[in-house]
This record gives sequence, structure tokens and C-alpha cells, in this order.
Amino acid sequence: MSFAEIVDGPFWYFSATVFVIGVLWRLVGMLNMGSKTDFSTPRSSGSAAALSINITRFFPRADFWSRIRLQVVAGYLFHVGLFALLFFAAPHIEFYREYVTGFGWVALPEWAFILVSEIAFLGLMLLILHRMLNPVTRAISDRGDYIGSILIFLVMLTGCLALARSHEVLRVTHFFLAELLLVYFPFSALIHTFTFPFSRGFMGAHYGRRGVKV
Amino acid sequence: MAIDMNVFRGFAEQIKMLPQMARPTDCPDNERVKHAKAIFSTKIDASNATQLESCVHCGLCAEACQFYIQTEDPELTPIHKLDLLKRYYRREKAPLRWLHRLIEPDITEADLEATQHLVYESCTECGRCGLVCPMGIDIAAMVHVTREGLAHAGLIPAGLRAVEQEQGSRGTVFGVGPDQLRQAADELRAKGHEVPIDKDKADVLVLTSTIDVLLFKDALEATVKVMNHLGLDWTIHSCAFEGANFGLLSGYSEVQKSASERITSQAIALGARMVIVPECGHAYPALRWAGANAHGAPLPFEVMALSEFLGREVMAGRLQLNPIGADKHVTYHDPCKIGRHGGVFDEPRAVLQALGVDMREMPSNRTANFCCGGGAGLFVMEKAEPMRNAAFDLKRQQVEATGAGSVVTACGSCRINLMAGADRTHWGTRIESLVELVGDNLK
Ligand code: SF4
Ligand code: SF4
Repeated sequence: MSFAEIVDGPFWYFSATVFVIGVLWRLVGMLNMGSKTDFSTPRSSGSAAALSINITRFFPRADFWSRIRLQVVAGYLFHVGLFALLFFAAPHIEFYREYVTGFGWVALPEWAFILVSEIAFLGLMLLILHRMLNPVTRAISDRGDYIGSILIFLVMLTGCLALARSHEVLRVTHFFLAELLLVYFPFSALIHTFTFPFSRGFMGAHYGRRGVKV
Repeated sequence: MAIDMNVFRGFAEQIKMLPQMARPTDCPDNERVKHAKAIFSTKIDASNATQLESCVHCGLCAEACQFYIQTEDPELTPIHKLDLLKRYYRREKAPLRWLHRLIEPDITEADLEATQHLVYESCTECGRCGLVCPMGIDIAAMVHVTREGLAHAGLIPAGLRAVEQEQGSRGTVFGVGPDQLRQAADELRAKGHEVPIDKDKADVLVLTSTIDVLLFKDALEATVKVMNHLGLDWTIHSCAFEGANFGLLSGYSEVQKSASERITSQAIALGARMVIVPECGHAYPALRWAGANAHGAPLPFEVMALSEFLGREVMAGRLQLNPIGADKHVTYHDPCKIGRHGGVFDEPRAVLQALGVDMREMPSNRTANFCCGGGAGLFVMEKAEPMRNAAFDLKRQQVEATGAGSVVTACGSCRINLMAGADRTHWGTRIESLVELVGDNLK
């Protein structure tokens, strides 16, 4: 079996399985820890606040803006760009249609794909540079943060090159790296993709019961 | 009534003596880790777990913390204060614990000791960092869990330990018991106020705090005046008058529970429909939010912070005040534990509006307010002085940005910290209590 066949066959199934089981394992494990009943009389609804913080937290408070704008802008460039690439790049839609969903949807035109890739790259580069140069992020970052960022960078880079040149080696390399990322995902801080609604929700509910919009 | 600065300085000196009064803890050295772990194990729930797992190490939380902003010391990054808890969680509770055990060392006694400074002397559990975190990580809540672990490992800083031990063993704070309370009441009676103490039944149980009995007697007097003015059926009770809860501040849950249950059972015995918590920041969440959980059932009475009560009475038109006039320019400092942790923002502002003063908000106000720097017991921790000073300097800039000549607050510890800072920096801005302003201007 050639490397390309392994990447397209068994390694894809392996990585997808590790991803799905790993994410579920971690999520269920966390949520299973339960919480104690809070007997205090709430001032307002905790569940409504849990939902609302999940939306409001996408918009940083004006009070902090002048101190955090670089990270927020870079974060948005990267996340929005990545989201658009992941779900609206024509080859990805084709992949989902064939291997996951069975149906496809409207793709980004090529010029938009290039623009979105550049936005995502810019955001990611800014985030990595900030992580390395800012004394706070340098102090609190661990190896995993760098591994995750570098893997995503490489996946994005090989993806763009594969699209531009339509070269089989680049396609296989892109697939392989993406599969490595899937395997790495459940063991890393990338899990925040799935945990953030819960962490936000718990915090929103806690303060919401107290009548405080956080 | 102006505060006698000599009495204030004497009180500050007494606080400095606290570490010498602390007794050694009864936790043997070689059992500290075990005790801390036992607490972490029971306290970590799904909320903590998802939050500990969600951090992306973006560092935004540093940009909200008054201690980092003032010092720019990365060690004071809020999430870094949770490293110990995170390590425990990863190795012992996380779904991937088997993996973490391979790569991360276990926590040691030295780690516990190193964390003392981070969670006690460098964090007021003010909760501001939680407002900026994109993942919604409530760092303050988990700093508290860490404090609980350290407390049960016998690692509460000596100043705070002395007060916690006193409240735990004698039920008093700074030596103030029923005799000192009665003496303060007699002084007020001599001024012509009626001060009901130890009634058998009462509609409203009014708490006070040691700080008000010893130092801020104006706040106690004003509270008495307001209660009488409103014609309430109220009492102070000598068995349950202390609102401060040093069990909560230290993280020692046994003392927290006994201090709060003392009030709860007395209020139930009185048949009280309401308990009013004095101008003491943490006393409010200790009873209003944690009290029911210590009791194991919803509280059969309403708990109100004094500032909340005054605001509600003003809004309902029952409490009418003489306007002071708009040539008094004030700003309001929201005590974190009553504001951000308690939801009381509008009520004190309604009072200031009724007083007709020129109210000017600080650049960061209400939910985003900066802590005075003395919260969560930092005001009794000797080694926290640099942090308190740093936070005060930031607060001072915030107050000065308003151009107000007076900063009003509704928490005795905030008042102490602001006064100490003002004294240190020869700052002329007045520091006033909300209830004192009300007491002086009753219609
Ligand atoms: S802001 Fe939140 S996600 Fe970012 S480092 Fe701090 S705790 Fe972690
Ligand atoms: S709770 Fe307040 S003092 Fe503590 S880390 Fe957060 S912002 Fe800083």
C-alpha cells in the first residue's frame, strides 16, 4: 500500500475515529463531574444568562478594548478565516460530500478563497508572533500551544499550495497533516472549539443568577 | 461624622500585629498535599472542569487584572494563579489523566507554598479577569477553590489565619464580642438613638461588623438612624451581629459555615423576614449566595446588602432624603463582592441620585469596576501591601479622572484600603460611606 493510499484509507479512518471518540471522551468526562445544587435564591435566570453569554462573549467589552485589540483582531482574522476555509472551500465541500455528509453546499469562488486564506494566515502569524514576543503569553504558553499553531499553519499552507498547483504530492501531504491534526486535536487545547459554549455557559449562569451580565 | 485618623492609624497598626497572633496550624507538614488534594477533589465540578480545559493561553485575562496592569509582572497573569489547581485537575480528575500522569509531575508541598502568594496576596477574587476571557473562565471562583485547598493544608497567610482562627474559636473578630457591641449601642443611646438589641422576635435582623463597631461608628449610627426612621420592627442580636466571614476569605470552609449558620439560625429563631448585611463587601455573598448552601436549603428570609436595601427603599418612595446639592461632586466605587459578585449596581446610584449630588462615573464602572485592592482579606495580609498600594494607585487615577472631590462606597474594607492609600499618598479626596450620607440627610 502506498503512502497516498494509507493517507486516503486507513489513516483517514483512524484519525477520524480518534478525533470523534477523543472529543466525546473528553467532553463527557468533564461534564460528568456534575455540579452541586445551589440553594441560594436567584435574582434572575441562570439558563437565560448561559445562553446570552454565549453570544455576548463574541464581542469584547469596550472597557478592555484599548488593551486587547491586537489579540482580538488577530483572533478574529484567524478564526473567521479558518472557519470559511474549512466549511466553504470547494475541495473541502467536495470532501464532506463524498466522505461525511453525502451532500454539498455553495463554495467560495477562487478569489474569495485566496483572500480568506490570506486573512487566516495573517491572523495566525500575528497570534504566533504575539505568543512568542509578549511577556505574558510567553510565560503562560506551553509546548502544546506551539505544536497546535504550527500544525494548523502547515495544514493551511499545504492546503493552499495543493489548491494552487493541483499537485498530488501536495494533496497527500495536506491530507496527512490534516489527519495528524485530527489525532492531535482531542489531546490538546484545540478542544476549546467544543468546550467554549460550556465554559461560557457555566460562568454566565453563575453570574446570571446573581443578576450580573458578564 | 469624620473618622479620627489617629484611631484609623491605630487600627492599621493593629492589623500589622496580626501575624504574631496566629497560632501554628494543626496540619502536619507531610500531610499538606493530601489535605489540599482532598479539597480539590470535592470542589472540582463540571463547571471548573470545562473552564480548566478551555484556556487557550491568550493572556487577555492579564489585561483586566489591576495587579498585572500596575506591575506588568507576567507572574500575576490571572490564569497562572490556577497552575496548581490545573495540575491537580489534569493528573487526578481530567478525562486524560492517564496521559498527564506520564508527562506532568505531581504537586508537592513546595508548589503549595509557592501558590500562597499567587492566590492570597495577589488576588482579591474580584472577578474582573473573567469579564475579558473569551472562553468565559471564572478565574476568581477557581482561585477560591485553590485557597480552600491551601487553607485545609494549613497554608493561610498568618494575618488572615489569626482572624480566621479567632472567628472559628471564639466567634469574634478583632476581639469584638457582645460586650463591645453593647458598649457601642450604649454610646449611640447616649446620643439619643433607640438601639434594639436581642429582641425575641423581629421582622428585620440587622447585622453589623467589627469594623463598624470599632472604627466606622458613623456607619453604625447611620444604620440605626435609618432603621428607626423607617419605623421597622428590627433588632441587632448579640449572638449573631458579625457580618464578616473570615472563613470565606481564608477558604476555611468549616469556619465559613459556622459563621454563616450562626446568623441563619438566629434569623430563623427571630422569625425575621429580612437580614440586612452591613457595609462589608464579602459579608454579602457569604450570606446572600453561600449562606443557603452552608444551610443546605433555601434561606427562609431575604438577604439584602445595606446599599441595596437603602436603594430599594428610596426607589419605593419610603425613604425620603434631603438633597445635598449638585455642588457636591462624587463618584461611586462599586465593592466587587456587592457589585460584580452580587448584582447591586442600581440601588446605590438611586440613593446618590435622591441625594441630588453630582454623580460622575469612573472610566471603568459598575460590572467592569476595578477592585480597591484590599478585597478577599488582602487588607489583613502583611505581605499584600505592595499589591494593595498598586491597586490603590490605579483607583486613584480612576477617581481623579472624574474630577469628583469625594469617593463614596458601601464596604468597610474598601473604605479602609482607600483611606490607607489616601493617608500614604496624602490624597485629599474624601472617602465616604453611602449609609453615612443617608443617615446625615434623612428627611
Ligand atoms: S483570558 Fe481566558 S483563555 Fe485567555 S489566558 Fe486568560 S483564562 Fe486563558
Ligand atoms: S480575580 Fe481580580 S485580582 Fe484575581 S486575578 Fe482576576 S482580576 Fe486579578
